[in-house]
This record gives sequence, C-alpha cells and structure tokens, in this order.
Amino acid sequence: MSNDLHRLVYYSRNKVAGEPGALEAAINGILAKSRANNAKAGVTGALMFNSGCFAQVLEGPREAVEEVFERIQQDERHGDVSLLAFGPAEARSFENWSMGFVGASVEDAARYGSLGPESGFDPSRLTGEALFEILHGLALDEENAD
Amino acid sequence: MPHSAPDSYPRRGFPPRSTALPEMATAVIILNEEREVEYVNRSAEELFEPVDPHGCTMPVLLASCGARGGEEMFADHVSGQDAEGTCRLRLVDERLLDCTSRRLSNGGYVLSLDDVTEHVRNAELANHDALTGLANRKIFRERLSERLADARQSGKPVAVLYLDLDRFKAINDTLGHPVGDALLRKVAGRLTGALHPDDLAARLGGDEFAVLQSGSEQPASAQALAARLVDLIGRTYALEGHTLNVGASVGVAIAPQDGYEPDTLLRHADLALFRAKADGRGAYRFFEHGMNDRIQARRLMEIELRRALALKQLRLVYQPQIHLASNAISGFEALIRWETPDGRVVPPSEFIPLAEEIGVILPIGEWVLRTACKQAAAWPDSVAVSVNVSPAQFRTGRLVETVASALARSGLPAARLELEVTEGALLEGSDAVTRTLATLRQMGVRIAMDDFGTGYSSLSYLQKFPFDRIKVDKSFVRGIDRNSHRLPIVRAIVTLAAGLGMETMAEGVETEAELACIRAEGCDGVQGYLTGCPLSPEAATALLAPSRPLSSTGATE
Repeated sequence: MSNDLHRLVYYSRNKVAGEPGALEAAINGILAKSRANNAKAGVTGALMFNSGCFAQVLEGPREAVEEVFERIQQDERHGDVSLLAFGPAEARSFENWSMGFVGASVEDAARYGSLGPESGFDPSRLTGEALFEILHGLALDEENAD
Repeated sequence: MPHSAPDSYPRRGFPPRSTALPEMATAVIILNEEREVEYVNRSAEELFEPVDPHGCTMPVLLASCGARGGEEMFADHVSGQDAEGTCRLRLVDERLLDCTSRRLSNGGYVLSLDDVTEHVRNAELANHDALTGLANRKIFRERLSERLADARQSGKPVAVLYLDLDRFKAINDTLGHPVGDALLRKVAGRLTGALHPDDLAARLGGDEFAVLQSGSEQPASAQALAARLVDLIGRTYALEGHTLNVGASVGVAIAPQDGYEPDTLLRHADLALFRAKADGRGAYRFFEHGMNDRIQARRLMEIELRRALALKQLRLVYQPQIHLASNAISGFEALIRWETPDGRVVPPSEFIPLAEEIGVILPIGEWVLRTACKQAAAWPDSVAVSVNVSPAQFRTGRLVETVASALARSGLPAARLELEVTEGALLEGSDAVTRTLATLRQMGVRIAMDDFGTGYSSLSYLQKFPFDRIKVDKSFVRGIDRNSHRLPIVRAIVTLAAGLGMETMAEGVETEAELACIRAEGCDGVQGYLTGCPLSPEAATALLAPSRPLSSTGATE
C-alpha cells in the first residue's frame, strides 16, 4: 500500500536571492543534491524554474514522495509552496530522470514565454494536471535534444 | 544437575560454586591469560548465539556478532594493560548490556554482563514523548528551571514559545488517530528543523508543543522563530496519501520581564497563546500584562453569569415589529437582558459568547423559549413572538422537542412563534440543521434568517431552505437615505425575497427618513428604535391594549 506509485505536483516561490549567476549555481546545486537523494529513494520527476518560482513533479513510492515533499516544505529556499496534485499514478511519466532540469539557464526562462506573459509564467493559474502536461512536454523536448 | 547427591554438598549445605555459575541470570565470561574466552555460562551463551565464543578474543567475538561498544576496554585487554572497569555493549538486536571486567589471580579476566535495556529505555521514556521523540513536559520544565536559574546569574533573557495546532481535532476525528499521530510527528519534525541547537522543543501533550529559547537576543529571536513556526507548520502536508492543512498559533513569554518562575512563564505564554487563538488563529502573540486582567475579568464574569442563572437575574424584553402595510404591531422580538446586582446591564454580545463557551447556553436558550412563548400566549392572536436560536441549541438535537414542549405548556399556537437563525447555526453541520428546521416548519413554526447579508454565503442557504422571512441586517439599513450604496443592496434583497416567496423585515430603523426609504423599497416590516424600543413584558402588553392608538413613534421602557 505504502509502496503504491504516487505523483505529486507543486509549485513554490523561488526565494534564492541574488544575481542570475548565483541563482543558476544554487539551482544546479539543488539539482545535483536532489538527484542523488531522490534516486536512492526511488523518486523521479521533473523540475521547472524561472527567476520567480519552482514547479516540480515528483513520482515514486508514496512514502518516499511524502518524505521528499516534507524536505521541500522545510527548505528555506522555497516559499508559498502550493500543492497542486497528490494521488496514485498508473505509471511514471519521468522514468529516466532522477530529476529533470528543464531549461539550460536562467536566461532561457524567456524561452518558456508561451507559459505566461513576459519572462515568467503564473503557475497559480494552472491546475496540477496542466502543469504536469507542460512539464512532461518539456521533458520530452529535452530528451529529444540529447 | 545442581541438586544431584546430598553428599556432594559441602558441610554447610550450599551447592558448590561451580554448580551455581552456569545457572546465573547474569552472563559470565571467563578469559584466559591469552585474553581468549575460556568459559561462558548459559546466559552468556544465549547472548552471542549462534556464534560460539570459545577461543575468541572479545573484539573478535563482538565483531563477529555485530555488537558495538567496549572497544577501548577490550583493546587494553589484548594489549596486556590492566583493564578493569565497566563498559556498555549494544547488541545487534539493540539490547544493551553493562559489562564489568575484573582481573583474576591467574592473569585472566572475569566479565559479567547485565541486561540494562529495559532500565535504559524506561529512563529515556521518562524524558521523552514516545510519539514524537521530543522532550516531554517533565524534562521541559526541568530545563526551563535550570535555564531560568542561569538567567538570574547572567541576566540573559529566556523565551518560552507555547504552540498549539488549529483544527487538529477535526483531522483526528475525520481521518482517524493514526493519521493524527503521523501528522504530529511531521509537525515535530518541522518544529525541530526550525530550531537552533541550543533550543529545546517539547510536546506537552495532545497537540500542544513548547520551545525553550535561550542564549539569543530577545524579543527579536522569539519573534523570528514564532513567525517561522506559524509559516512552516501551516504549510501543506502530504501524509499517508492525504493532503492536509493545519495552522499553528503561538504564544510567547520572555524572562525576566514576563516572570522568573517556570510556572509563571509557562502560564503567561499560555495566556498569549489564548490571545493568538482569539485573534483568529494562525498567528503569534507576545504576553502583555493586560492579558492577565482580561482573563481574570472573563473568569469573574463566568462566575457572575452562573450565579445570575441560578438567581434568575436574566430577563426578557420585547421589541415591537411593525407590519408596514397596516402600520400595526405584528409581533415582538424577545431579547435577553442581564442586569447584575450592582445595576450594570451586560449586553448580550458580551455574555452570550461566554455562555456558549462555558456551556450554559442550553439552559439559557430553553428558558428564553419557554418564557417568550408563555408571554406571547397572553397577547392577541394577531401578535407573534420571535426568538433567537443559537448554534449550540441545534447541536443538541433536542431543539424540536424543546420547542414542542414550550408551545404545549404555554398554549401558544405554533404559527405565532418565529425562530431566528443566524448563518453561524447554518454553517455547522448544514444537513442536520436543515432537517431540524424543516421539522419545525412542518409543526407550523415560522423560520427567519437573522442578520441577512453579513455572513459568508447567505444566498446558498436561501436555496437550501424555504425561510418565511429574511431580516435585513441593520448595517444596510442605517443611513440608507444618505448612502447611495445601501439602497441598491436593500432593493436587491427585497426583490430576491419576493421572488422566493419570503417576507422581509428591516432591522435597526432609527429615523423617519430611513423608514420612508424602507417603505418605498417595499419591505414588509420594520424593527428599530424609531418604531419601538425593547419593552418590559408589562409595557409590551400595555402597548397591545385595544384602547391605545398605534403610532410610528416608539414607546420607551
């Protein structure tokens, strides 16, 4: 029961302050660390960010997903965490990723302009499902580019 | 084996020592000169099963069965240094053993091992909350005493943060205790994560936690931590497959200014918490000396209210309700008054919430209902009485029974009783309330929605239940002739009510200009100081006497 595959989607305000370079370094750091941690726990997923927020899908055994989410809730780099969706999932959608880095750099955030006005997007206007779809599409994009 | 032949006993009747050793509860190991295990008794054998200790040195024996501890002492054994002493061993199954080593005259050692697992666990349990692993109330209080004693020397401030969860009971009730317990563990995790190493967090019981903060700048540190805890604990939880939200309220007291005694400081932090919750939860408050007075005043009022009930110091007054088409009195609203022996009149807005809180609202509500029905039975047939019903009365599930009994005893026809319900009553357990209202209405009792327009979702209630009357809140009526925003609201309510087949009554009419506006908008009735102040039962009855002409100006009490 506790090992059932679950999917959790959230977004949060990015509280990493400073120059764009510092933000990129911080996010690379977060990614490297969570890749290692989450792979051990069997959690995969995708992360999308810009200068304003993080949006993330976590997939894995329920307890492991809950544990990762709890760490995120306690992480001072996140603020206003909104849980958009949490429930059982049929299959993983980000199987090959321990954590997907969507977008090569902070500057590239502009690339996702279609998600919302100007450089940022407003995830609060998206449902968990829609956000998941966008992340999924971007992840496939990234895989094809490799 | 031990009690074999009597003649093998020494003269004084004891079995030989070599016979007792294998049977001892204490595990015994004898090491030879080479520090290898030469002998183990039965208890010791069981400890290390399935490893056979014979011929092993202690480091080898412990390593081969996964036990830890005693490295230093046994290294000394092997290196030939004198190694008497005691150490604690932890077996692979987490059993704890205290091992004492004594030198033997032949150059070997005898080791005795006592199982202290239970003893150690009990000591830990006595200091810790079993569910969350945080310190418990006893330890928290001890530490607080120590830190306060230090603070007296150093003059450095010590802060106590008292924290409890908002809406925890609802989660426990709806999702069950296992989920509630899991949530408390996560809360404890977040709490601990937000602390400095010097801070101490404790679970005081239920959903109550406390933090002891010393060695930092105050009140800045306590304020920062309180704000962080309210934010952090209030964040969504993903738990056992559920998405959960609870809030946290925090009260803070700081020594020396808020007290130097542990109990005083804790009580003051608790008072501040009480304030934080009263101010709408999900907030933190610092203790202020006025809080004590306010709580004291409240306690005093509680005593007085209970006494007033016993001495029947409560009374009802009756405010006329005017039917606008006929300019006649259609009824009275029964209003409760509490006059204290020293002549002070306590407004219902002060003592009714208190009565609800201390659980005396039910007898009060029932008394009001019976008294009003009895009074109204003495009035002409065309005159009704309106009685306010509190949410607590709905919760008992006995409201229908009480109303039926009050009607029967007084002989008042059901159609002359109107019950006024606020949204507060409708908000809780809506279905049960709706069923109760429907039953009352079938009995012939009229139902009015009170204070319409001031709550959250009045319109949805109008759809759910066919009220007989809507009472337009006074905030829309006051100054309706001068405020261009109020008129359209009242007009909309009147239209809405007419469309739903409900009557309207405007409350709080105080001027002729307001009355003219209300009349022009087509309200069915008015109630207010202009058309009649609340009256004593005698004055109300006199007002209804046939000889007396009705006017639109109010009689006074």
